[in-house]
Amino acid sequence: MIDMALGVIPQLIKNLFSRPMTVAFPHEAIPIPEGYRGEHAYDVDRCTGCTLCARVCPNRAIEMVEAPEERREAYPKTYPQIDLGKCCFCGLCQDICPSGAMTMTQNVFLSTNDRSTVLRSPFGKT
Amino acid sequence: MAKGRRAADGYDLYFGPVHPGSGNFGVKLTVEGERVVAARADPGYLHRGFEKLMEYRTPMQNAVLSDRLCILESLNWNLVHAEAVDRLCGTEIPERAKTIRVILAELSRIQSHIIWYGVLSKALGFDTGFKVAFGYRDYVLDLFEFVTGGRVYPAGYICPGGVRRDIPEGTKRRIVELLAKLERMIREFEAYDSKTIAVRCRGIGVLELDDALRLGATGPVLRASGLSADVRRDAPYEIYDDLDFEIPVREEGDAFARSIIRRREIEESIRIVRQALGRLTAEPLPPVKPKTAGKLPEGEVYVRNEIARGEAAVYLRSVGESHPYRCKIRGPDLLHMIPVLEHLLVGAEVADVPAIYWSLNICPADMDR
Amino acid sequence: MAAMESERRRAELLERIGSRFDLEPRVAEDGTAWVSVREQDLGDCLAFAKREGFDHCSAVSVTDWPEEETFELTYHLWSYETKVLLTVKSRIDRGKATVASAIPLWGPSAGIHERELHELFGVEFAGNPDLAPLFLEKWDGPPPFRKDFDWRAYVTETFYEEGNPHEQSYRD
Repeated sequence: MIDMALGVIPQLIKNLFSRPMTVAFPHEAIPIPEGYRGEHAYDVDRCTGCTLCARVCPNRAIEMVEAPEERREAYPKTYPQIDLGKCCFCGLCQDICPSGAMTMTQNVFLSTNDRSTVLRSPFGKT
Repeated sequence: MAKGRRAADGYDLYFGPVHPGSGNFGVKLTVEGERVVAARADPGYLHRGFEKLMEYRTPMQNAVLSDRLCILESLNWNLVHAEAVDRLCGTEIPERAKTIRVILAELSRIQSHIIWYGVLSKALGFDTGFKVAFGYRDYVLDLFEFVTGGRVYPAGYICPGGVRRDIPEGTKRRIVELLAKLERMIREFEAYDSKTIAVRCRGIGVLELDDALRLGATGPVLRASGLSADVRRDAPYEIYDDLDFEIPVREEGDAFARSIIRRREIEESIRIVRQALGRLTAEPLPPVKPKTAGKLPEGEVYVRNEIARGEAAVYLRSVGESHPYRCKIRGPDLLHMIPVLEHLLVGAEVADVPAIYWSLNICPADMDR
Repeated sequence: MAAMESERRRAELLERIGSRFDLEPRVAEDGTAWVSVREQDLGDCLAFAKREGFDHCSAVSVTDWPEEETFELTYHLWSYETKVLLTVKSRIDRGKATVASAIPLWGPSAGIHERELHELFGVEFAGNPDLAPLFLEKWDGPPPFRKDFDWRAYVTETFYEEGNPHEQSYRD
């Protein structure tokens, strides 16, 4: 028994002098690497309306919608609306987009209490 | 409890599914006093109907779905599915992609065994082992985050055609650092053994070889009962026939033998990753572009892989459409959690139930699919 | 060397199965062997395979062919000794889907697969003592993995709400 008790002491002393591992979230955060599949960044001006992203999405989280009335002249085609509630953040839409309009950022801080923010319109906040 | 009957005369005890030591799976134990006289598995809490879901999606979409077959070893399941589609289509995978696949699959196996060690310790009451194990697992997940873009869900990183994108700059260095940490971890685990896992697991849950074969055990459970069988050596896939590794086998068949085998497997996996890193060629690897059109050739294929828990297999049948016609998924846990578990629990003491249960390293997700 | 030995034994094995049941076994590029037998020979073929050393029943599966009114059973067998994978396939009638259980040959390792297939496809395995439901609770509809069960319609009717904006894209 005594050897078990003594065996702990070197570890105890080491822990006295090492830094705590706690990260004071949300004031600090551990760095998120590039290439992490987070929130989508969609550029409507690069989009060609090819609908490939809606067809490749495994969960049918992307639905092609028309532009709102006032912008329909400038944007006559249909554009992807992403439902983040269904999205599994796989990145297939990013990989298949031929014009680079659909990319994924490293933003993972997407929790919300407001359900209306879950459906991401292609025209941003209108 | 019926009137006039003493509580010790046989009562039903539910081990799970809302039990911290059982995962999403329940076992109904009929107990007399301290001894289990009958066990009945209660599966189905995680049934999502994968086999049917996969009939409605193209292979690339199925690759994303295949991580969720068993989240504890997602890259291994990605690999089985990707191999099945590749073999059906006759695709040639570049050497660099095969090496990356093997490296990630072995790291995923290591990570799965770390989870097993942590949860076994937790179930036995050894909380420190749990925390240390999951602390080390975090280093492996950091590497997965760096390479695949997600800590736990690699989103079909190993996909039909190779891997979704090439490994980023600096991966090799990080893997070498990670392997050094993992070797330190194994020494720590071994140091704790004699007073913790060995005491609770020695002689418990003995599975004889004939029973193991009859009940369908595979992987470490079968190897602990004395048969040296490993799909990586018996039916090699990817680059395993060029790599040099041992298959640990024990004769006792008890829970402790299974524990020793899994720890030795972590060491062997580290060896495999080192060899594979040495074989990584320098040619650039183009990313695999997902397609929405394109048909699978007609045919059928049955591919077996050795995942951390045992033998995993996918039977893919296609009639020439863009979706598979039938995708049967065979996981090791359907056999381990129902026939093997029910057999081993009969006659055990209630206090030994967590030790037996977790020594089988079960995963309800790939049983229910 | 071991690979050549294994190939020779596989070739001999398939020769024996072929001549016994008057069939042509097919060997795929990856070395797996596939054999299609008539329904009445299925029990004999499986027993023969077991005697020839296929002691591991890896999986039992059913493929539904509603246009042809058949179910195709596939038994995937592995031999630890000769390291050969053999798949025995057979078609049975879809309306009256009954087949003898493989429990006498491979024990519960085949029995548990049969239990799952009974629940999900509705195939009756005669001689299997335990065909209780495995995954689904209180399910009284048709076997859900059959091709004629429209699970999307079922899910839309049972679980989705009319006015929910998040579910509009599923109603196509």
